[in-house]
Amino acid sequence: MNGSKHDRAGARAEAATVRFAFTPAAAYVRAARLVAADVAAHAGVASGLLDEVRQAVGEACTRAVLRHRDRGIDELVRVEFSIGDRFVAKVTDNAQDLRARSGDRVGAGVAGGDARANDHEAIEEDTLSEEITLIVLGGLVEDLVVTGPDAEGGTTVSMSWPLPGSGSAADH
Amino acid sequence: MRGTSGDGAAEPELGLGLSTVGDYAVISVTGEIDMYTAPQLREAVRQLSSEGRMRVAIDLTPTEFCDSTGLGVLIGARRRLSDAGGSLVVVCANPRIRKLLDLTGLDKVLDVREAVPGE
Repeated sequence: MNGSKHDRAGARAEAATVRFAFTPAAAYVRAARLVAADVAAHAGVASGLLDEVRQAVGEACTRAVLRHRDRGIDELVRVEFSIGDRFVAKVTDNAQDLRARSGDRVGAGVAGGDARANDHEAIEEDTLSEEITLIVLGGLVEDLVVTGPDAEGGTTVSMSWPLPGSGSAADH
Repeated sequence: MRGTSGDGAAEPELGLGLSTVGDYAVISVTGEIDMYTAPQLREAVRQLSSEGRMRVAIDLTPTEFCDSTGLGVLIGARRRLSDAGGSLVVVCANPRIRKLLDLTGLDKVLDVREAVPGE
């Protein structure tokens, strides 16, 4: 992890960046979301929003891992938090748009459908989960932008939350 | 990675408690449901249905965290049980997870209740 300390005694954290990457495996998503909540707390994000940060970053990382897994991509999922006027979280994958390749699978809906073999059930739920991540993110995060796939093939989920102007930095 | 998360925190733990209330086999879920632990919940439902327990209640009230992977498992479980003539009830008096169900619209797709039927 590559970050810098800021003045926690001050009303607002100094500009800072925390950046890391992780192997696209389910076991590491929790670490990413816990780091997100911790960095957000240090940045001064309101305590009432920290659950939202944790959930949202976890969802974005889950989506990235699912996209890498679906394509058999071993490259790292990249995560970046930046502290400035707002707390900004970015999660970047290296997978091209799933729909372009297998729109029929994405179309597996919430209701109905035939019974499937066990391994297919897991794959289908993964696909469903990727769709749900965007629904959850859209519902949770007011400032949400999903870009890509870009020239390198990945997408980036960018989210931001307000930081207090003064006097209400995280206390811990 | 087990036990060695980057911040030193313990790995996500999922606790699945099984009981019976009325006609329902109840899975009480503690800990965190995410893409790492969700397969355990999926397998628990599958195990019950393979034993002929087609009326299943998943109790999320004591659950600390649930992400979209967990929601995917709930949807999959509902579909499998319904296809087999059974039913799934999601018990959730947990406001954090209730909010998740509400904002995804799953509160209208799933049978979400405050308590296990017959309790």
